[in-house]
Amino acid sequence: MMIRRWKDKSIEFSRIESIEAELLKQVPAAGDPEGEEKAEERLFPSPTSQGTPGMTKDWDEFVRPELRHLFLSARKLVEEDLAGMTRRPGKIGHLVVPLTHADSWLNALNQARLVLATKYDFTEAELSFNHTPKTFSRRDLVLLQINFYAAVQERLIEILEEGTPPKR
Amino acid sequence: MPETLEETKSVTQIATPWNVVVHNDPVNLMSYVTMVLQKVFGYSVDRARHHMLEVHHKGRSIVWTGDRETAELYVQQLHGYLLHATLERAEG
Repeated sequence: MMIRRWKDKSIEFSRIESIEAELLKQVPAAGDPEGEEKAEERLFPSPTSQGTPGMTKDWDEFVRPELRHLFLSARKLVEEDLAGMTRRPGKIGHLVVPLTHADSWLNALNQARLVLATKYDFTEAELSFNHTPKTFSRRDLVLLQINFYAAVQERLIEILEEGTPPKR
Repeated sequence: MPETLEETKSVTQIATPWNVVVHNDPVNLMSYVTMVLQKVFGYSVDRARHHMLEVHHKGRSIVWTGDRETAELYVQQLHGYLLHATLERAEG
């Protein structure tokens, strides 16, 4: 798969292999914590580690619903974009998304990585790209999925930086 | 006199600065953290990278200090980008 800025207004995903298409299509669902406590805690952490009276209650009441809406919107947008993926003969896929959707893609990919990493309880060492799985369990495959999403994120960030003059 | 004392305490509480702290997280990419700090605080790439490396090596970095209301807003924005951030009273 190749990802590049296209005509300055879009991001083009080209030569998408079947397995890559499948993993991309799983992004919206993978980012849903589905009520799992640890994943919920990671997506919606406390705003303070000092137990400031009243702050956590207000946060839960006012901020958390806004964040939940933001995360859901990002996943929905990515899902809608992915519905536009075309498949050519030989099962090579092609997808063009507006550049303005890049933030939502980064957000949805991050949600997916955070939820998967929390659900499967990965360590920092395991999450590094240097980790080589010794078996091919479901957990090892999820690690590959997380690292695939990380690679897509890295490329999207590079693309965004290409169009931003450096501020020093 | 008690009223004056109470008033002084309130002013002191309001004036106490708050830190916005970003904590280490094995999932968030270094490039992503750098990008988010640039977006949220308008930092230069060098300053954002400095904070990102501090988070990576020391486990946390104070990325901003100021009034509580603004600090809360920044933490909310950072949570929106899924960074692990908290606010805390600045010491001293």
